[in-house]
Amino acid sequence: MMTRRKKRKVKKDDETTEPSVIEGDGIIVIKDLTKKFGGNVVLDNISLTIEKGKTTVIIGPSGCGKTVLIKHIILLLRPSSGEIYFKGRRIDNLNENELYKVRTNYGFLFQGGALFDSLSVADNITFPIRQHYKVKYWSKFDEFVKTKLSMVGLEGFQKFYPSNLSGGQRKRVALARAIALNPEVILYDEPTTGLDPIRSDVINELILKLQRELGVTSVVVTHDMTSAYKIADRIIMLHNGKIIADGNAKHIREHPHPVVQQFIHGQVNEDDLAVLRASGTIFQTQFLPRDFEE
Amino acid sequence: MIEIVGSKAVAVVNDAGRFGRFVWQTIVASVLSCAKTKTYPLIWAQMNIIGVRSVPIVMITGAFVGMILAVQAYDQLVSMGLEERLGVLINISVVKELGPVLAAVMLAGRVGGALTAELGTMNVTEQIDAVRSIGTNPIRYLVVPRVLACLLLTPALIIYGDLLGILGGYFVGVVQFKINSWAYWNFSAGGVELWDVLVGVIKGFFFGASIAVISCYKGFTCKEGAHGVGQACTEAFVASFISILALDYALAVIFKAIYNTFWSVRSLV
Repeated sequence: MMTRRKKRKVKKDDETTEPSVIEGDGIIVIKDLTKKFGGNVVLDNISLTIEKGKTTVIIGPSGCGKTVLIKHIILLLRPSSGEIYFKGRRIDNLNENELYKVRTNYGFLFQGGALFDSLSVADNITFPIRQHYKVKYWSKFDEFVKTKLSMVGLEGFQKFYPSNLSGGQRKRVALARAIALNPEVILYDEPTTGLDPIRSDVINELILKLQRELGVTSVVVTHDMTSAYKIADRIIMLHNGKIIADGNAKHIREHPHPVVQQFIHGQVNEDDLAVLRASGTIFQTQFLPRDFEE
Repeated sequence: MIEIVGSKAVAVVNDAGRFGRFVWQTIVASVLSCAKTKTYPLIWAQMNIIGVRSVPIVMITGAFVGMILAVQAYDQLVSMGLEERLGVLINISVVKELGPVLAAVMLAGRVGGALTAELGTMNVTEQIDAVRSIGTNPIRYLVVPRVLACLLLTPALIIYGDLLGILGGYFVGVVQFKINSWAYWNFSAGGVELWDVLVGVIKGFFFGASIAVISCYKGFTCKEGAHGVGQACTEAFVASFISILALDYALAVIFKAIYNTFWSVRSLV
């Protein structure tokens, strides 16, 4: 059970099927995690140790189970089998009421932000505080909101509602909400998806800033390789529900597995090209409205 | 064929089990929340949305029910020379059955649909997961205030509906059909007991709770996308409507038994 405390070196050889830890202790340990939806195996016997104070990036093609994996870390989804530990304590067998307390150690940035529509930006950010503390000094709330918003570069947006914000602003407000309880671990589900390159870089800088200044442990799910290279201490690649590569940015860049190389360079493979070629030209396959007439 | 029927039956049993667990969690969270002042502002906000804003529609429904009953029943009673008893017929129908049931149906449409759509949208946009990830019980934060607001305010709305139903019937009977006002009220007072009014109001607690719980459950379990939310709203209304009718029948039987056992001998007690 206590193998999570063991330090293991990154495998420098070819295909890394076994997960490894670069250095330091594991704050989150996942053992033999399998998740099935009906007969569909999304995560297949995954074992993983997340190091404290480091940024771990999980990459992989769409539908490979990245979001499912990150949701298991905070137990928003329950595993079909396997074990999940947080700071040495097994949490996958806790009931929902016990988990609420554990979850206060986490911040979760959802893909779409998941801001509460009916609450203003200020109320969204103070929501976790109001849920977990008896607030006596409401005047301090203004200062609190101001501080959190300045951290994400959105001063003066207190009274705005989520519907008045752009995609990037929503993600930054969601990040401000995620750090409201000063969590030890922040989980990011595709933080840069749908943002322009400049806004994406702003989010990347924020993630780095949070790690530098607050020393938080970050787990980032993304398929944006620019972002992954910039923020990652360690990159894990998922494919068909399994870990196929695990190491630092250099290790991933030089990884010999063809799927890893194809993914990080964003290249279509020969099989997909063959299917496209076999389907004929666009001209041949295009229907005109008159084709549907008698 | 057997496989299809079997899998459907298993799905129904599973859904019933999930609903039962949801109801139980709601009851437990409601009881615990009553002791926490932090929940009161949430309940208060929902009371405004669910209760106050439903007053006009419930009152309009009640008024038209009373007026329609008067128009329909007048000719029958005149043919027997009993037109002065019109008030009894209208008022007892309104306070005991039609007022509560139609007010509840209106609420199932107005409030139940809105609850399902709101929670369903929160579900598909991961806002409910966000509540959980913050370490808050979504049933305590989202369901309990809505259920308690519905539970407490449906009886009050039924009283408004009853009041307007009585006035609507009076307006048509006395102003339009020129029935003697004193006779109208006198027969009404003799025919409608406090028990009849209480039955209607008590039904409101059950109707309100069932509308809120069903609507919240459908919102929590709705499928992805606009179609999923729309389907959940339809299912919530249909299930609420059927539950109102089923509860009305069950409560009618229970109250009848209670009346026959206790109310008729209350003077002796």
